[in-house]
Amino acid sequence: MNRRRFLAASCGGCAGLVPGFGFGQSDWSAPARFARPEAASDEGGLWAMMDREESRLRRSPFTLRDAQFTAYIQDIACRLGGEHCPDIRVHVMRTPFFNASMAPNGMMQVWTGLLLRVENEAQLAAVLGHEIGHYMGRHSLDSLREARSRSAAAQVMGLFGLVGLVGQLGIAASMMSYSRENEREADRIGLLLMHKAGYATDEAAKVWRDLQLELKERPDGGARNPLFATHPAPEDRQQELATLAATFQGGGTNAAEWQKRVQPFLRDWLVEEVKRGQHEETIALLTRLARDIPSRPEYLVARGETYRLRGAREDLDKAIADYTMAVAVEGVPAEAYRGLGMIQRLRDQPAEARTNLLRYLELAPQAPDAAMIKSYVEELKS
Amino acid sequence: MKPILAAGLALLALVCSASAFAQSKNLAPGFQSLPKGAKVAIMPTDIELFVISAGGVVEPKADWTEAASKHFKDALNRKEQALGFTPIELSAKQAEEADDINALHGAISRAIAMHHFGPLKLPTKDGKLDWSMGDSVQPIKQATGADYALFSFVRDSYASGERKAAMVAIAILTLGRAALALGSQSGYASLVDLNTGRVVWFNQLQRATGDLREPESAAETLDALLSEFPLAK
Amino acid sequence: MRNLLIVVILAALSGCATVNKMESGSQNIGERMTLTLDGAWNHVALPGQGPAQTWTMEGLPVDVLLVYSGLKDGQAIHRATSSGQKSFNFRASMQPDEIVGLFEGFLTRDGSQFQMTKLEPANFGGEKGFRFEYALTRKVDGVTLSGMGYSTVSRGELFALVYQAPRLTFFSRHKERVEQIARSAQVKT
Repeated sequence: MNRRRFLAASCGGCAGLVPGFGFGQSDWSAPARFARPEAASDEGGLWAMMDREESRLRRSPFTLRDAQFTAYIQDIACRLGGEHCPDIRVHVMRTPFFNASMAPNGMMQVWTGLLLRVENEAQLAAVLGHEIGHYMGRHSLDSLREARSRSAAAQVMGLFGLVGLVGQLGIAASMMSYSRENEREADRIGLLLMHKAGYATDEAAKVWRDLQLELKERPDGGARNPLFATHPAPEDRQQELATLAATFQGGGTNAAEWQKRVQPFLRDWLVEEVKRGQHEETIALLTRLARDIPSRPEYLVARGETYRLRGAREDLDKAIADYTMAVAVEGVPAEAYRGLGMIQRLRDQPAEARTNLLRYLELAPQAPDAAMIKSYVEELKS
Repeated sequence: MKPILAAGLALLALVCSASAFAQSKNLAPGFQSLPKGAKVAIMPTDIELFVISAGGVVEPKADWTEAASKHFKDALNRKEQALGFTPIELSAKQAEEADDINALHGAISRAIAMHHFGPLKLPTKDGKLDWSMGDSVQPIKQATGADYALFSFVRDSYASGERKAAMVAIAILTLGRAALALGSQSGYASLVDLNTGRVVWFNQLQRATGDLREPESAAETLDALLSEFPLAK
Repeated sequence: MRNLLIVVILAALSGCATVNKMESGSQNIGERMTLTLDGAWNHVALPGQGPAQTWTMEGLPVDVLLVYSGLKDGQAIHRATSSGQKSFNFRASMQPDEIVGLFEGFLTRDGSQFQMTKLEPANFGGEKGFRFEYALTRKVDGVTLSGMGYSTVSRGELFALVYQAPRLTFFSRHKERVEQIARSAQVKT
């Protein structure tokens, strides 16, 4: 706050460059590229630590190693970053939580849980743009300075560290590293960057709305949910985003391209999501995805698997319904047949069970559980 | 290994078995010393320095770690002459490629710390330093042509001024074991025979003194770590 | 890591953790299972640990063999957890894939990633059971472990052997001995 006033005072004609002062589309322009700070300074120490974390990240077994796909995400980040493009390095991490973060040295992490949840490029751009907004506004330094005398400093560092640090249970929303003010600024910059890159800004509010829908399924309303760790989404924030987005016109979502690019990874990401064991949230998520993208049977199958796993009264019927709907769509994953067969086996419907389990083995002869399923088929014969 | 865990293990060792350290052996059976002029691949030291704030929270200190890495490496370079072997440094790329092996070595070192130097001795090891990485170390041999590899690991934490004051009272309560609470240095150095994968020498460091932030004291830490090193004869 | 520290300190205060030698030959585990060992193993007994026995050859940070004998319906496969942490409880009605799911859940509590690579029917303890294989990427140090398990449910109780060790060199070192122990298992009906 004081810094802002100081800047305004010392820079007579550049009120428009200072965030928060009459923030209009034409007023704001991105800062120049950042130079590497002195090693002994606050920021220098932070930077060095980030460099070391980044080399660990690169070598981590949790990194998604697909050069083409990573390049695709990198390209989106790059177009958003404009002149800062050369400083942004994207790392896609395999973890089923919603998160993206950008460290002051330009290291950007995008978690596969986020990639599962967004429905098009514009929605991803909203989140990445927001992160770049934090980067351009140098917010991490603010947080570090403020937290310096408290143990929260370690958490600031932790937020940029290896995947899973944030994903660990028990990290409350209060450990957020950015102030409300900085969050607001990042939201605004994010929308501007989205718009400049040709994306429809009204997609941004949808991301938070959908996340909210998912999280309110929890008994605690999502208060202690890792999904909230870096991006709390109170109602008024969504409202602000929607209002601001309305001032921008035009832009696209590139939905078709997005779905084509993520399709090869969907099955793995869905398996990881179901494995989380947070059934209510997963069901809410998959219901939304199946409704919005009906051409992909993967979401229905995953929801069927979730019901089958939860196995409460009426869940098995719901699972059967999902699997049955899914097999009617082209490209259905083999798991749908396994799911049907396993439930029918439980319910003493041997003929139907055999048919479906055999179909599973036909479609997925190399599945890890093929031998087990085969033995069930043999049992059902007699 | 987190410093607090290392400290906890040391505490356990002290409490559980008075003779634990007296009987520790740093050498694998049948190994006495390095042959003269042996080629030793120097694996990058895994080093991290922490500050313990007044509230007792341990925070990593990047600039200290940067400085310490440099001091440690310099000290090691100077020491290699005295130790009588030919050091082979790994390029950044080679170090990255050896990452898997490094991580595996880390796990074995924790096992040696816990089960050879620590109180949870494994009867099947019969009190001997008998651990081998087998052929997993072959890539290092192939990349460097070395016969041995030297691994090292250091974790060091320092109490801030406020913390030191607070610890005086606690020193009394812990019956003099306050050393662990003030800040501690833990680490190990290990020599692996790249032909067999055997850990032929292992030294563990666990103490309350030492300061890696300054070049001279960093050299002293290195000396402590490499004390009893099986010098070539 | 934090939990391990607490356990270790408690062990120090209450009378130390011990490691017992499991000698070659017949070993009774619980009331209903016998294993015949060809070569000794180390049984690490930490106070408050359970319900499985924890065995190792190279040390806990490297390889672990969990031995379950007669785990009852409703019992967790691990030590009691602090409130808020999810518990993985065995149910006698569970199918093989669900039992593997229990181990998966337990082994990934710290953020590690688990991938089942094989599930097949197998005899265990003289009963009809199953065998599974898995890969585990350990969160704390990024080491990739290979694992395998044998299990059966007999009279509503769980019997199992689960062994894991680093994929590099170590898993293949002791794998055959674990297979032999599994083959030797006898469960009293």
